Amino acid sequence: MAVEQLKSEVTGSVWKIVANIGDNIAPGDSIMIIESMKMEIPVICEDGGKLSALLVKEGDSVAEGQNLAEIEI
Amino acid sequence: MNQPTSPPNVTIESEDWSAELQELEQRRQWSKGLGGQEAIARHHANKRMTIRERLEGVLDTGSFSEVGSLTGKSDRTDGRVNQFSPAPYVCGLGDVRGRPVAIGGEDFTVKGGISWSGDRKKGGQGGFVEDLAHDYRIPLINLIDGAGGSVTSMLRRGYSVFPGVHGFEQSVRLLGEVPVVCAVMGTAAGGPAGRAILSHWSVMIKDTSQVFAAGPPVVARSLGQIITKEDLGGSDVAVDLAGTIDNVAENEQECWEMIRRFLSYMPQNVWELPPVGDQSDPPNRREEALATIIPKNRRRPYKMQKLISMIVDKESTFEIAPRFGRSVITTLARMHGHVVGIIANNPMVYGGAMDAKSARKQTHFVELCDTFHIPLIFFVDVPGFMIGKEAEAAATLREGMKSVYVGLQISVPIYTVVVRKCYGMAGMGATDKNGLDFKIAWPSAEWGSLPVEGGVSAAFKREIAAAPDPKKREQEIEKQFRESASPFLTAEAFGVEEIIDPRETRAYLCRFIEASIYKRKTALGPKPKYGVRP
Repeated sequence: MAVEQLKSEVTGSVWKIVANIGDNIAPGDSIMIIESMKMEIPVICEDGGKLSALLVKEGDSVAEGQNLAEIEI
Repeated sequence: MNQPTSPPNVTIESEDWSAELQELEQRRQWSKGLGGQEAIARHHANKRMTIRERLEGVLDTGSFSEVGSLTGKSDRTDGRVNQFSPAPYVCGLGDVRGRPVAIGGEDFTVKGGISWSGDRKKGGQGGFVEDLAHDYRIPLINLIDGAGGSVTSMLRRGYSVFPGVHGFEQSVRLLGEVPVVCAVMGTAAGGPAGRAILSHWSVMIKDTSQVFAAGPPVVARSLGQIITKEDLGGSDVAVDLAGTIDNVAENEQECWEMIRRFLSYMPQNVWELPPVGDQSDPPNRREEALATIIPKNRRRPYKMQKLISMIVDKESTFEIAPRFGRSVITTLARMHGHVVGIIANNPMVYGGAMDAKSARKQTHFVELCDTFHIPLIFFVDVPGFMIGKEAEAAATLREGMKSVYVGLQISVPIYTVVVRKCYGMAGMGATDKNGLDFKIAWPSAEWGSLPVEGGVSAAFKREIAAAPDPKKREQEIEKQFRESASPFLTAEAFGVEEIIDPRETRAYLCRFIEASIYKRKTALGPKPKYGVRP
């Protein structure tokens, strides 16, 4: 089983985590929302899969390209 | 009367050129054999195709007419040729979708595609293939697979050449005349790597091509850095991080198809308009989903690519540099068959704010479209230039102003469609101040010198601080400003030329783009050059 890293598209902070470890994520669904430039940027799992790890928590600052979560596909 | 005399008895010599024709055929076969079977097998084992396979893949079947097939070096005894090593560059004339192009590329199987020069250079930097593109006013395709000059040439010549002896003069001239495509097919360093940048559009191949000023051995010696060529100049660096090369193809076949597709949007030269494509998608097609694509919540982003795809001709987009400077999307597309350039802010990346990378990308795309008389459509949702320490250190202001500067120099029609935010200098860069200044807005549009939120807290700082409930007072003032920020009030003042139902966007734009042809076809030719870019 392959593990895919979900990366942050932007620098910002983790506003809300909207999925739980172990959840099966449908393609196109969000895992969390990053606040950046006054916008709520969803972190989208394009291909879907099982959320196996969350690497950040709400309130954390994140950098562009930082790994946020792991998805088993 | 004299009897007529008989003609003198002459011997008719045999006009037999078969030996020469045989030699010609033999030399052609040697030329087609490239660097020999062993070298070709090694090249294939590295997942790379030969220059002749590449030419076949890029061009229409059977359309290649070679020029310079006999160049190279032969080994002769008693006037007979025993062996022949072709020059490491193959070029000529071919067709792409029925239109002629000048095309050439290094042959890596002969001495690694090293720079080669006989009486006349075939291509690479300048040479016959660039002269052909210039003189016939046809596009140029460079299939780059070589590391350029070798230090050994100094020993051969007996002296060291001055930089620029095989200069870029013609390569630079071509950028104002005909479409130039550069594809990095293998490892390109030095001159060939520089040549790749002198193009309207460039592409490389994932995992099998790399591009850099100098490769790992030089880097190791000069800086002590030990690095693989993929880590130094693979597509992750050259395309995603640096934007040195515009696009990446998964493999050679995809690369060939991308080259053909890019050229389908281009005219043959700047003295003509781009070809009109398929017109089967009705210009008055209305997509209902456009009415609700912009979230009411101003903090929520949406998929700009989806918005674009609903407005332009179906399946007509070709995105330039999709992995670099991603807060702006630059894509070629068609509107009722007419080629257009789309520049759209991407709210998913920094709310669409223009950073140094996206500004650089926008500048190049605007110049590309202006050079080839392609109208521009801006789908605007930009909060302004990117802010913060990193953005300042990256010279966002300078790169952003460069894009504003270039936008103010161009003369193709520009259609500005404000779908949501249009603020500040980045917003200024999306309008046509030299032409009609034609700005169209959706009811979801908002604009100004700066967004209300930041502006109110700065301008009413003392009043807010002095209020019994500062947060409440700030919100009250913001509400007051937001009421007068309605796009309809600007439309009353004709400060925006039209507000349209989003579902009408395609029909409205198609009508004006088709009408703009009279302007465009009477303004053909090279574009003037202006002063100093900021």
